[in-house]
Amino acid sequence: IATFLGRKLQPRPQNEVEETLKRIQGQKGVQGIIIVNAEGIPIKTTLDNSSTVQYAGLIHQLVMKARSTVRDIDPQNDLTFLRVRSKKNEIMIAPDKDYFLIVIQNPSD
Amino acid sequence: MTRLCLLAFQRGCQTRPVHTAEAEIQPLLNADNGTQTDPQDHLIYQLPPKGELRPESPGLRDFLHRVEDMVVKELASNAKSHAFDGFDVNWEDQNETVSCIHCLQHPSAQEKGLQVTSISWSCTGSVIACAFGRVDDGDWSTEKSCVCTWNLDRRGLNPKRPDMVIDVARPVMSLSFHPSQPSLIAGGLYSGEVVVWDTNRTQDLILAQTGMSTDTHREPVYQVAWVPGPRRGEMVVLSAGSGGRVLLWTVDSDEGRLVLSAGFALIRQQVPHNSALSKNRGSSNVGVTSLALSPWDLDTFLVGSESGLVLKCSFSAQTLAAAPPDGESVTLRAPAQFSFSPRGGPVHSLHCSPFHRNLFVSVGTDGLAHLHSLLQPDPLLSLRVSDSYVFGVRWSPTRPLLFAAATGQGLVQIFDLGRKSLRPAATLDQLTGGQPVYCLEFNPRRKDLLAVGNADGSVNIWHLSTELTEQGPRETAKLEQLANEVAE
Repeated sequence: IATFLGRKLQPRPQNEVEETLKRIQGQKGVQGIIIVNAEGIPIKTTLDNSSTVQYAGLIHQLVMKARSTVRDIDPQNDLTFLRVRSKKNEIMIAPDKDYFLIVIQNPSD
Repeated sequence: MTRLCLLAFQRGCQTRPVHTAEAEIQPLLNADNGTQTDPQDHLIYQLPPKGELRPESPGLRDFLHRVEDMVVKELASNAKSHAFDGFDVNWEDQNETVSCIHCLQHPSAQEKGLQVTSISWSCTGSVIACAFGRVDDGDWSTEKSCVCTWNLDRRGLNPKRPDMVIDVARPVMSLSFHPSQPSLIAGGLYSGEVVVWDTNRTQDLILAQTGMSTDTHREPVYQVAWVPGPRRGEMVVLSAGSGGRVLLWTVDSDEGRLVLSAGFALIRQQVPHNSALSKNRGSSNVGVTSLALSPWDLDTFLVGSESGLVLKCSFSAQTLAAAPPDGESVTLRAPAQFSFSPRGGPVHSLHCSPFHRNLFVSVGTDGLAHLHSLLQPDPLLSLRVSDSYVFGVRWSPTRPLLFAAATGQGLVQIFDLGRKSLRPAATLDQLTGGQPVYCLEFNPRRKDLLAVGNADGSVNIWHLSTELTEQGPRETAKLEQLANEVAE
């Protein structure tokens, strides 16, 4: 068993992240998932390269704007979830300090 | 009594003398080196290459842990929700009717009895250019004609007076605006010449032309188009004519010449056939009457011929054409790779769907519109458009299931493949007294405009209703379904 400073080293938890993404992807109508870091750079995606880059850049700006809107109205408040519904699908964004989770769903699929 | 005492102190300081010394160095060995970063677009947005072992982003697992339940709950309830059923938003004014907003004419061309053979919108969508010539019989090889342009966004638009009239010595059979430079127009003439006009010039508008050389077509040029050239950003002119030649020309504006850069010859014997060829034992050249470029695959193009053949061709075909060399400066190649089931007469127009990579529609003198898949020879669907000839067909740039066809009876029939019935969704009467409609083009920028060119020398600009221009839900999916059906 590999140890460092006397503590057992945990195995790289790659699988758990992938498992979670698979569970979300398996929900009805989910077309794609993107995880974006705090700088707006996509770190995980199930979509193609160019769509991912496009979504990441545009949504990052949108979340920042939405968050500042909520906090301007009430500084004690904060953004917890953002949903953008359009003719063709719905984009759901779960924001956080370090990451955003973006899920694109077509509910009528 | 107070006494103000001003106390002043004076201090000074001085560093100790600074020791200095001189020394020299000289490198014994010299070496030069340089570094250069490679230019990369969107450097900051490059995804890390897959498969590389990289450290797991810190906190990602915990983040997903936190949000997973909430997101899954929202996804599930959204899938079941009826909250938005029937909810529609009107961002733009809904237009219920189809109307003809302009009827553009050039009286002097109409007096000569010239017909509109081809129309083209500029890349900005403001200017419509139309070419005059004649499609019906007659000795018109020496008839002068013209190309007229109107700017529809200009105030004081006079439909009876074009903004610009370019006089041409021969009838013009085809026209195409440059896809990014709004002032360049390429035209194919009845004599086989190809000309590029620059509407920015004041004096001689001809930027480049083929002239009558050994390279040019010997027969009328029925189709011109701009295709990407070998160098990035460069566009070359493609011309196709009834002599069976498809030629690519580079624009040499300094010399004012169009230089032949590549060429293809369609020879009957080299056409791949998987169905009975027509019994026409005429010339071995396959006269091209229509051509379509694929927006999905820059290497593929479709050719429709005078005898009813529809061929899938490739720009990168290497087979040499079996045509006797006629003094051309490039070796001609045979481009045909696949032959679709032939039609009963000349194929006047072909168009590839902008929404599905495998679909295209073809029309001809048999009055039918055939919806084809690139993957099989037989059509997927055959629609009766008209009892007479059909001269033009174009897919809608905004609705995947819609296309419009121009008939010889003076009508434009608009078909919606999403409807159960095979009858047209709309019929636009060009009010030409039954004279044919030869060409039609959707505006590339303004999705509700359709230009139609008629045999009586007029160009009608139609404003389409929202129903014909707004994409409905699931249209792309329905088109996909249509494309996957296998014909019996």
